[in-house]
Amino acid sequence: MSAVKVSFNSRLRSLLVLALIAGGVVALRLTDIQLLSHDRYLKLAERNRTQVLYQTAPRGRIFTADGKAVASNAPSFDLYYLSAGPKEESYFARLAQDFAPRLGMDKEKVLEKLRQGAKSGKAVALAENLSPKSVMALKELQLYYPGVYVIEENKRVYPYGIFASHLIGYLGSMEGDEWKNRDLSLDYRLDAKIGKNGLEKKFEKELKGRDGGVFLEVDYRGRVRRVIEDRKWQPGSDLYLTLNYAVQRAAEEGLKNSMTGRGAAVALDPRTGAVLALATAPAFEPGMFVPYDDEPQPKSKRISEYNLAVQGIYPPASTFKVITAIAAIEKGGFNPEKTIYCPGYYDAGSRVFKCWGVHQHDNFFEGMADSCDVYFYTLAAQTGPAAIEKTQRMFQFGKPTGIDLPGEKAGNLYGPTKRARNRSYWFIGDTLNLSIGQGELLVTPIKMAQFAAALASRGKIWRPYYLDRLVSNQTGKIIQQGQPELLGTVDIKDSTWDLIFKALKQTVDSGTASRVKMKGLNVYGKTGTAQNPHGDDHGWFMAFAGRPGEEPSLAVAVFVEFGKGGSSAAGPIAREMIKAYFGIEEEPLRRAESAGGTASSRKMVIPTAPAAQIMSNMDTMQRLVLSIGQAQSGGEE
Amino acid sequence: MMTAYPARTRKNRLDWLLLGAMAGLALLGALCIMSAVNSVSFYNPVVRTHLIALPLGFAAFFAAWSFNYQIFDEQWKPLYGVILALLIGVLLFGTYQRGSKSWFVLPFFSMQPAEICRVLTILVAAAFLDRQGRRIRDMRTLVLLGVLIGPVFGLIMLQPDFSSIVITFPALLVLLYCAGVNVFYLALVLAFAAVAGFFTVAWTYLYLHPALLDYALLDAFYKLASRPLYMAGFSVAVAVAGYAAWWFFKQLRIFLPSFYFVLATLVVLAGFFAGVFVDHQMKPYQRKRVEAFLAPQSDPQGASYNVLQAQIAMGSGGILGKGLFSGTQSQLGFVPEKHTDFILAVVGEELGLWGTLLVLGLYLLILWRVAVVAYAASDRYGYLVCSGIFGMFLTYMLINFGMLIGLFPVAGIPLPFISYGGSNLVSSMLALGVVQSVYARRITSG
Repeated sequence: MSAVKVSFNSRLRSLLVLALIAGGVVALRLTDIQLLSHDRYLKLAERNRTQVLYQTAPRGRIFTADGKAVASNAPSFDLYYLSAGPKEESYFARLAQDFAPRLGMDKEKVLEKLRQGAKSGKAVALAENLSPKSVMALKELQLYYPGVYVIEENKRVYPYGIFASHLIGYLGSMEGDEWKNRDLSLDYRLDAKIGKNGLEKKFEKELKGRDGGVFLEVDYRGRVRRVIEDRKWQPGSDLYLTLNYAVQRAAEEGLKNSMTGRGAAVALDPRTGAVLALATAPAFEPGMFVPYDDEPQPKSKRISEYNLAVQGIYPPASTFKVITAIAAIEKGGFNPEKTIYCPGYYDAGSRVFKCWGVHQHDNFFEGMADSCDVYFYTLAAQTGPAAIEKTQRMFQFGKPTGIDLPGEKAGNLYGPTKRARNRSYWFIGDTLNLSIGQGELLVTPIKMAQFAAALASRGKIWRPYYLDRLVSNQTGKIIQQGQPELLGTVDIKDSTWDLIFKALKQTVDSGTASRVKMKGLNVYGKTGTAQNPHGDDHGWFMAFAGRPGEEPSLAVAVFVEFGKGGSSAAGPIAREMIKAYFGIEEEPLRRAESAGGTASSRKMVIPTAPAAQIMSNMDTMQRLVLSIGQAQSGGEE
Repeated sequence: MMTAYPARTRKNRLDWLLLGAMAGLALLGALCIMSAVNSVSFYNPVVRTHLIALPLGFAAFFAAWSFNYQIFDEQWKPLYGVILALLIGVLLFGTYQRGSKSWFVLPFFSMQPAEICRVLTILVAAAFLDRQGRRIRDMRTLVLLGVLIGPVFGLIMLQPDFSSIVITFPALLVLLYCAGVNVFYLALVLAFAAVAGFFTVAWTYLYLHPALLDYALLDAFYKLASRPLYMAGFSVAVAVAGYAAWWFFKQLRIFLPSFYFVLATLVVLAGFFAGVFVDHQMKPYQRKRVEAFLAPQSDPQGASYNVLQAQIAMGSGGILGKGLFSGTQSQLGFVPEKHTDFILAVVGEELGLWGTLLVLGLYLLILWRVAVVAYAASDRYGYLVCSGIFGMFLTYMLINFGMLIGLFPVAGIPLPFISYGGSNLVSSMLALGVVQSVYARRITSG
């Protein structure tokens, strides 16, 4: 019997060992849950028990240099009753008595809502979207009635409507990836609106601020047990831009009312590189992207985020003649008074290059003022493409301007070096095309503005910057400050600058850029018409201006897509921008007598692009006929 | 270990370690119950009932200790009668609570006869096995025990009270194993349970996913549970399959005793019909629990939500816990059944890892002491009784902890000494009292 018993014992013993092993496994798993995963579970437990009546923080405002808040906030107020407060009927009666008139509601209705809240145990909104006027009184009453809370929500508004919309950007709901990659330190809520584009996106972290709210402890049915914390929000930091409200507004109005309503206008301060205006058309209303009612936007309202001012690249056309001139002057042996005969074409031996008109005998200043292609063909043929390319490099063509905006295009530098690197040939025709800014040469409107600023400042190439300062709303301290940054200098002789200034002044005073001529101002400028084989030509206008006796303080570049002519399409916009900057109240320019007179007698518009050279005679004739009509109506270049 | 005790002449009458572990758990349990129901409306009745049950439990413990346990061996037939009487009585005179007719409502308190029956069943089964002597290895013993226990399980399932079965069945298996029953026969019993379990789970799954019934084969399988004709067809098919297997093996010149095939056929059929029975007795919420265990992700707000909330409670407690009466998960009602089935979650949240490890440690201590007493028992009956009780507490421990850490489905089983529940507390203490009685008389009748 005892032998049998030993074997029984071994069975029970094995079970005991099994129990101990199982106990060990359980202990390990308990350690895993309670020790290793403690933080995760604690967070889940906290989320379980807290419910928050959020108060969205006001987003940081965005100011122009002249102090206009172009992005601001509008508060909206809701009044809540939390059932964690007193629940006696007598208390409710007093409460309703006091609040009903201020809410503009029936007393019985308030009472009903209070009872409903007390019964369900949940937070109930007594009134929503209260007027800011009544809120002051309600906030005071709130002190006497525990359980009553005024909840303030802030939503983004753009008081000036469409204003620098591509630069400022807009807000929208978070999408999948954005939610996944959100900055956890900023406590985003699932329904938070974040910057989707422009500065709203770029400075999202600084602008956002920290949401406040009434933190409630709730049980598993969502009934309010108590108020854990009533946390005030912290507003986001304010952004002060270098933008000049009037100039920006003038640029946008001008673009909007231009022939096609498409284009870009940029204004820089040539003394620092500060951006005074950065406009792209068509623009959008930033507020319309803030659908607080959670309705999806209709497709038709969606607008391209394509910022033409920094992302659009086009041939600079005749504005480039300034580079050709500088190259020729710097090369030496240049006589500005020497005239070149323009019969309306230039014979390059194998091919004939047309001028857009017949300019007869032009010296340098007349050639610039009339934008005579033949003059610059001749100049370029004498100077050679290498010198022109070198001058391009000095002005940093083919490089981005370095403005702190995403997606800026570099454009394209055009010259024999690249051809040589690609083991291709450079022809005389290429030199001639280059001399008048056509061909593979491409620039962005902001590059053109940087170029104008470089001319205005006699060779200083600034990095354009739009941020003046970022100021914390909590400490009042400046978090970030924009600084002028010199990217390079164009090292050419003073006499060369003098010649260029004189020529560009003459272009404004009596040439193709006469639209920006203004009393009491020294204005310099150059127009350009970029050949577009796919449609209407693009208009360029580049100018800089200063008060007499002072150095130029404004550089502008205007581009009108499919605008046909630089002077006719882009000129008026540049004019309005200059006027806005210098505060000149002047009657509109008399168009007909200033340019039209010379145009009808002397000018015929003939295309100068490679496309034109390929065209058959027949095509040329048709084009010619069409162009004459245009010249009479708008006429320039 | 056996040798340590007989050597002493002045022996202890009481195993203080076992008593200490039990009292410690009971004290911890009382505190946690008070904390768990602190915020609910039925705080007073719960605390009052538990404070009455505690002394009753200790009374039962000391009463059982002072009794000579051998009286259960001698009077096992009347004891069996008591079990049947209690279970039939509750079916006749009991009241429904949460869908089960398993309560006697008396003037001052209610009791669940199934709780005391699980201890009595072990005492009766041990007495029966004690009488089998050397026939313990025979098939006959197992069959007779089945005949003896079958009606008890049947009556419990009529209530229905599955949680009692879930505890008693494994406890009896442990008892049989320790009694020296042939492991092959035990394997047959397990196979029977597995077959029954398979049918139940499969039907439950189909019940919860009616779309699957579009497949003719699954539909036919589902109808096995309810259509007598299908059942008969299935029985015949199993019998034929058993015969075919026997014939097939014979053709292959593999000679196995033919009664193996008979046994296999019988086990499958018995399992099938047990499954049908269980399936008919299951409540929708119990089906949901099976579902939640099979696919915890499918139903985050349902049954698996409860386990998740319990785990959040334990995990958020950390090492030291949030302190009694301050667990947010428990106090704000996120943990369901917090004073009964999920009391461990309260322990974990409010007392932390130390609390849960303490409970686990005390349980292992009880198991160890019960096993030691089993070794020291003066007769075979004492050894068997302790083995059965060992199996019972082992099952309680594994299921309760396993449920919280996601190893077992939520079975709705309380944790003795910790959970609220008077009948459970009293009968568990009574069981340990019997163990103490075995301990106290370990040398006397050599």
